Amino acid sequence: MISKLIRLASTLMMSSILFIPSMSAQGKDSQASANNDSVLRAMKAELERSKSQLKLEGMAAPYYIDYRIFDIDRWSAEAAFGALRTNVRTRLRFGRVVVRVGDYRQDSFFQQGQGVVDSMPLDDDELALRHHLWLATDKAYKGAIEAFTAKQAELRQYTVDQAIDDFARAEPVQFVGPLAKLDFDATPWLEALQDSSGLYRTDPQIESIQSSLEFDVVNRYFANSEGTVVRSGQVLCQVGMAASTQAADGMQLDRSVAYTVSDWKELPTAENFLARTTGLLRTLKLLRAAPVVDEEYRGPVLFSADAASTVFADLVGKNILGLKPGLGQPARTTGAFASSYNARVLPDFLSVVDDPTLALLDGRSLLGHYEVDDEGVKAMRVRVIERGKLVNYLLGRQPIRGFPTSNGHGRARVPGNWPGPSLGNMLVSSSEPVPREDLRKRLVELCRQRDLPYGYYIETMGGPRAPRLVYRMWVKDGREELVRGAIFGDLDTRSLRNNLVAAGDDMYIESRILNIPHSIISPSILFDELEVKRQDTKNAKLPEYPPPKARGQ
Amino acid sequence: MKNRFLSAALGCSLALFLRPAFDGSASAGGAKPDNSLLSTMQEELQRAQGELGKLDPAPYFMSYAVQDQNIAVAVGSQGSLVASIHQSNRFANVIVRVGAAALDNTHAENRASAISSGVIPLADNADAISRALWQLTYGEYRKASEAYLKVKTTTQVKAKEEDTSPDFSPEMPHVHNDYSEPAAVPDQEVLEKMVRRYSGWFSKYPYIYRSVVMVTVQRARRYFVCTEGTRVVVPDATIRLMIEAQTQADDGMELMRVESYQVETVDQLPDDAEIAARVEKMVADLKTLRVAPLAEPYDGPALLSGRAAAVFFHEVLGHRLEGHRQRGEQEAQTLAGKVGERVLPEFLSVADDPTERTLNGMNLGGWYEYDDEGVPASHVELVENGVLKNFLMSRMPIKGFGKSNGHGRAQPGLMVTGRQGNMILTSSHTVKDAELRQKLIDEVKRQGKPYGLYFEDIQGGFTLTQRWLPQSFLVLPILVWRVYPDGRPDELVRGVDIVGTPLAAMGRILLTGEKKEVFNGICAAESGSVPVSAVAPGILFSDLEVQKRPHALNRPPILPPPGFEMGESSAPAKSEGWQ
Repeated sequence: MISKLIRLASTLMMSSILFIPSMSAQGKDSQASANNDSVLRAMKAELERSKSQLKLEGMAAPYYIDYRIFDIDRWSAEAAFGALRTNVRTRLRFGRVVVRVGDYRQDSFFQQGQGVVDSMPLDDDELALRHHLWLATDKAYKGAIEAFTAKQAELRQYTVDQAIDDFARAEPVQFVGPLAKLDFDATPWLEALQDSSGLYRTDPQIESIQSSLEFDVVNRYFANSEGTVVRSGQVLCQVGMAASTQAADGMQLDRSVAYTVSDWKELPTAENFLARTTGLLRTLKLLRAAPVVDEEYRGPVLFSADAASTVFADLVGKNILGLKPGLGQPARTTGAFASSYNARVLPDFLSVVDDPTLALLDGRSLLGHYEVDDEGVKAMRVRVIERGKLVNYLLGRQPIRGFPTSNGHGRARVPGNWPGPSLGNMLVSSSEPVPREDLRKRLVELCRQRDLPYGYYIETMGGPRAPRLVYRMWVKDGREELVRGAIFGDLDTRSLRNNLVAAGDDMYIESRILNIPHSIISPSILFDELEVKRQDTKNAKLPEYPPPKARGQ
Repeated sequence: MKNRFLSAALGCSLALFLRPAFDGSASAGGAKPDNSLLSTMQEELQRAQGELGKLDPAPYFMSYAVQDQNIAVAVGSQGSLVASIHQSNRFANVIVRVGAAALDNTHAENRASAISSGVIPLADNADAISRALWQLTYGEYRKASEAYLKVKTTTQVKAKEEDTSPDFSPEMPHVHNDYSEPAAVPDQEVLEKMVRRYSGWFSKYPYIYRSVVMVTVQRARRYFVCTEGTRVVVPDATIRLMIEAQTQADDGMELMRVESYQVETVDQLPDDAEIAARVEKMVADLKTLRVAPLAEPYDGPALLSGRAAAVFFHEVLGHRLEGHRQRGEQEAQTLAGKVGERVLPEFLSVADDPTERTLNGMNLGGWYEYDDEGVPASHVELVENGVLKNFLMSRMPIKGFGKSNGHGRAQPGLMVTGRQGNMILTSSHTVKDAELRQKLIDEVKRQGKPYGLYFEDIQGGFTLTQRWLPQSFLVLPILVWRVYPDGRPDELVRGVDIVGTPLAAMGRILLTGEKKEVFNGICAAESGSVPVSAVAPGILFSDLEVQKRPHALNRPPILPPPGFEMGESSAPAKSEGWQ
């Protein structure tokens, strides 16, 4: 009871009007708007009915049920070579029903017991919504019963020394936020996409170019048998372009840019977008003429904050998720940090926090912001790595060894996947920030100490191990020289722990929309030693014949 | 040949669904008869021919096809909208053949090496379109030339094939520019209202667990150019309304009824009263089916309604008459050596005629003017007085049949094969339809059987595969009645599965009715989904073998549907809108 009050108090303090326990005055409003919402009404009605009556004779009744509905309104368009190829508005509603039998300690969440996904009526028609939920619940319950038996049979094959609960308990939460609407016009952007992709005319050797937009409005509804009711809306806007060319030796060269924001007002202007495209095409041209990297290099490498964010996403972001390994496996999690709890995973001067409660940083919206996660647990700021040491994992309601409760990071991919631990806003910070310029000086200095003629500066990454814009920083004259065809040999968690020697005082916000919207915030970083090799992929042939001549439209 | 011939033995399923939507908008049926897309295609094709012609191996044939499509779909369930889509697409196919007609890159298992496809700009922007075609073309050339090298090596290493036909037939070039406008696409709201209204009619019946109503309006223009000089522009428009309802018997058997309509304009769709009557019939059938006895193994006289017979012939004979099936080393080639022999009773003939738009006032869904290789559609006598005469031919020759007969069809993105268009079964040994039932009874008595079977409906492979609706199970919608010789009322049975050798069964046809019935559907096979029609009169078999169909043992829903918590009488207020 006391803990409940404390929770309530902190809740009231931490959150604004949006986060309202049902007993407060505003809670009544929240209750009222929940009652006015046909989707929530339908969910509650079927939940109540299933909770009290859904049972097969001679079989266990459900101990937990949840409903999740994703409502997506999407405007997507793509232009190539100056003309639109697609322009589509889509509205979808998906429902996912999970029924669990057994108990929190051991339940049916396994194989076909992991829920049922179905499309839901788009109309706010309570009875039609209930009808679809009714069928999905029935199927989910029957699946759960079978899965429970199958799971117990499989568990009998293993010796489990330390039983971990299947499902974490969580306090009920009521949060009915405003619905988001796709109430802005994408039409002016269609023009910008055509103009941007039309810039291929400035360089006859551009082989492909696409500019695209995807404006999504996602409204999420969640209710469970524990009394949690959540509704929240989010806007996700992405505008981007991608182009490719080939060097004379056939090497494929790609560049892309994306603006991903949660408020369409934060999108660049059409002029800025065009300017960015122009800049990007220019780098492609430069890349074509750039020399290929030497066969092997071992030495200091400086990553811009942009490039560093990709490194952290891959080497830290993936490994701090508290994902439970398969049945009977003794490891704590599935990631590379499975056995690193309380051990050093980064240099002492770096700390990592994941904070979904943060809506804005530097006046920019963060994509990983949410109030309540997709399992109905309130978002929490989690210190994951403190002064280089791993002290926590990001958790949903599936416990892992030593971490019995959720810390509000259970999130689901749109539309149908089950929720699992995911990043929100992952912030990497340094206790000893170094001015950016000094980092460059240190790179050159390190090279000089080791008699290296140059060091590498990585401006952007194309993938976890593949840098896209790479420069040689020459010791003798400070010249920056663009090179191509590089790949990292040993950029891994070990080098992150042992070779990362400094971090900048700058910051880059990388917003990612893929799968689950999240943001990664990181400073630039310097490694004292990394291996940079020449990529050994085969170079493609150049096109057999030249592109058509522009008629000039 | 597998004996479960109503399942997808030939990889066919006639589906009442929308063709995968690579589809389009603004310019599909743009107002003016504008040939700028065609001329862009033509110019870029010529340029490609000139450039690639300098290489070794050089293409000896290339074609560009564009489907410019505008598609509107609305899906309703339980009186509510589930999906509503309206979009435009232009989808391009680039075909490159290297080598020579006698042996090219498409040989044997390599057919797919001749085709590359992608989405091209919606507007007639010549620069952007020619760029897109160029990209597709050089990529496709690489694929084709690589495959050709493989083909050459393989044919040298392997033993001589049975059928030494060339890989591509010679055809005359055709020029045909039909820019006529199909009927306008109705407002999306009209479609949405329609599916809401019709699907809502099912919600007053608690035992109809699921209902889906889908309307699809497709307007397209197809463009085709090839290096032989063929240039074809044709309109393509269809409207399809599909109504589906599902229930489950107490033993878990899933039961489904489907009705569909295919027309060219929305006002040709049946009115509400007719649809309401159909819905009531579907509901009544399902209600009876739920409690109907299970089929027992049976071997005896059977009567197929015209609709059921049409589907039966489409599945059992139609697919076996597709030309490419007589040649592939992996094919059973059931009919390959039977040309000139009797395959059906002599009073039966089978033709495929895509040139007919209607039959006795009914729309024929397999209608087209030019096939997907730019060859004019033609009437083909497949079986004449019981004797096998011909096959459904694309430009892939087979032994004895060196030319296309305008049946090369595919959905955009896939390589053409010989396919059905409007397959029509004709009989010279008929009785009045009203007498068919008595003929069945007579045959039952003659054979001393306890009862005969009347197949009112078969949907065999005809099933639903909507891409955006999660399909939880697959059932074969089938409606079969036991007809007793002693005057007892007919009895509906469920779980019927036809077994035995289908071609043998066709030899046991005694007679047919007079009135031909039409089944329009979408047929799916290796070359994708294409609209087809099957036409047949009612057919009496002396002998058809059926068995019990195995089925899932899922129980029906545990709780009553929402709105019926107090029992069947508590029908929700909403369904009072029933008319």
